[in-house]
Amino acid sequence: MILPIGPIHPGLKEPLRLKLKTEGERVIDAEIDYGYVHRGIEKIMEGKTWQKAIYLAERVCGICSYEHTQTFAETIEKICGVQAPLRAQYLRVITNELDRVQSHLLANSTFFKTMDHETLYMDVLRLREYAMDAIELLTGNRVNMGWNVIGGVRMDAKQEHLDAILERISHIEKDFEIHKRLFEEGPLVGLRCKDVGVMTREEAIKGRAVGPIGRASGLKHDYREPHPTYHDYFDFKPIWRKEGDNFARTMNRYDEVTQSLDLIHQAIDNIPEGDIRIPVEVVSGYKDWRNEAPRGEVAYMIETNGNLIKHISIRTPSIMNIDSCENFMLKRVATVADAVTTYASVDPCLACAERVVVDVNTGKTTVNDLF
Amino acid sequence: MLNNLKNIFRKTSIHVCIVNCGGCNGCDVELVAVTSPRYDLEQYGIYLQNNPREADIILLTGAVTDHWKDNLRRIYTKMPEPKLVVAIGNCPQSGDVFNQEGGTVNAPASDFIPIAAEVPGCPPRPNEILEAILAVAPGAMEARANEKDDE
Repeated sequence: MILPIGPIHPGLKEPLRLKLKTEGERVIDAEIDYGYVHRGIEKIMEGKTWQKAIYLAERVCGICSYEHTQTFAETIEKICGVQAPLRAQYLRVITNELDRVQSHLLANSTFFKTMDHETLYMDVLRLREYAMDAIELLTGNRVNMGWNVIGGVRMDAKQEHLDAILERISHIEKDFEIHKRLFEEGPLVGLRCKDVGVMTREEAIKGRAVGPIGRASGLKHDYREPHPTYHDYFDFKPIWRKEGDNFARTMNRYDEVTQSLDLIHQAIDNIPEGDIRIPVEVVSGYKDWRNEAPRGEVAYMIETNGNLIKHISIRTPSIMNIDSCENFMLKRVATVADAVTTYASVDPCLACAERVVVDVNTGKTTVNDLF
Repeated sequence: MLNNLKNIFRKTSIHVCIVNCGGCNGCDVELVAVTSPRYDLEQYGIYLQNNPREADIILLTGAVTDHWKDNLRRIYTKMPEPKLVVAIGNCPQSGDVFNQEGGTVNAPASDFIPIAAEVPGCPPRPNEILEAILAVAPGAMEARANEKDDE
């Protein structure tokens, strides 16, 4: 029989329909239906200036909203042939890593909620609030910060702000080892996560999995490594695991949180003096540029016409990750309860992933993005 | 007398369901933060349960996309009386930036279901959401219950 796990569900934040084909309690097959969140952002952006388009790019997704603005700003800077000053690049790294910390902790808390482990779920949310305080001290808002402009960042940070940020994240570092050990060495939690929803390395290559999901299955690739700022001024190596089950994906995110806190310390200790913004005049051209968002690789392809945007195309990581979850991971779960936790461990972000809407009653297809 | 007893429980123990009609998830992230130990929604007797058939209040986020046009009305009729809808964020009120040429949203949401209270912001902060729910919910639940019982 076909069991629908509907758009409104206690464990899912976003509307998506998961149709499981079951035989008793065993899961045989799965099918995923999208289409609830399509808003037509790429079509609205055509013919606008960069100030209006960057406001829209931030609202593609609310959880990973910082990385979209940084990729947009860097693409247009590459079209004009300029580079942001060095102090602005360090400030961008600090905000990028703080955003990654809060996104990974939110993803893990959703995973624990679907497993019904209330202690870990509430404890992760308590630790996440310190990272949100640090973001608010630096940029002025918790979500949708409006921090990047073309040619640099919007505001400067004085020394007392940077000291306050270090004090706030020291609260996370104090408790983080004990908290990680609760998950890593707990026997019953381990029974629920190890060897569930396995995806091997060949399947990850076939399904084009990216981000922590691909790295937990053995693909050693992180788009921060070839990025000019990280390559020249920071020491950084990707973190990866071999097994490819729910436990490996969650532990990979915890290890990346530790790495991000270390990168923030490196940035604040070595930040140079200088100005934070240079004036830029936008010219016509085309460029495509990629960056590492918390969920994987985000790619922007922009063509400008004088001062305005002519065509834009955004490719977000959740499209590939949800596809590989549907085709490979959900064939290896034992029961219906394991199917829901496997889907939550993939860390889906559906607001980024909607491309086309098909009207079931009339059969009409609307595609509101072009390239 | 039995009604007075029922009203005491309706005011102090409220079940809530979150319906996301196609937003960017910024408001959903702040709603998850409202249930975290720092802002703690459960200490006021409000329980986040996410089943429309057992809910007293629906929290609506997101601009109404084409898929949700028919389904929103269906979910509203499935809730048992007395019931309320609180709209959170700018998107259900006016569609925010998406309500221009090229977008596919049908704003405002009050074309489809009646809305009792609104919290503006993009996204609103967790303490603003908490203040709005606490100011509106207990009094309005009691008023709706009285008007239904008088019929």
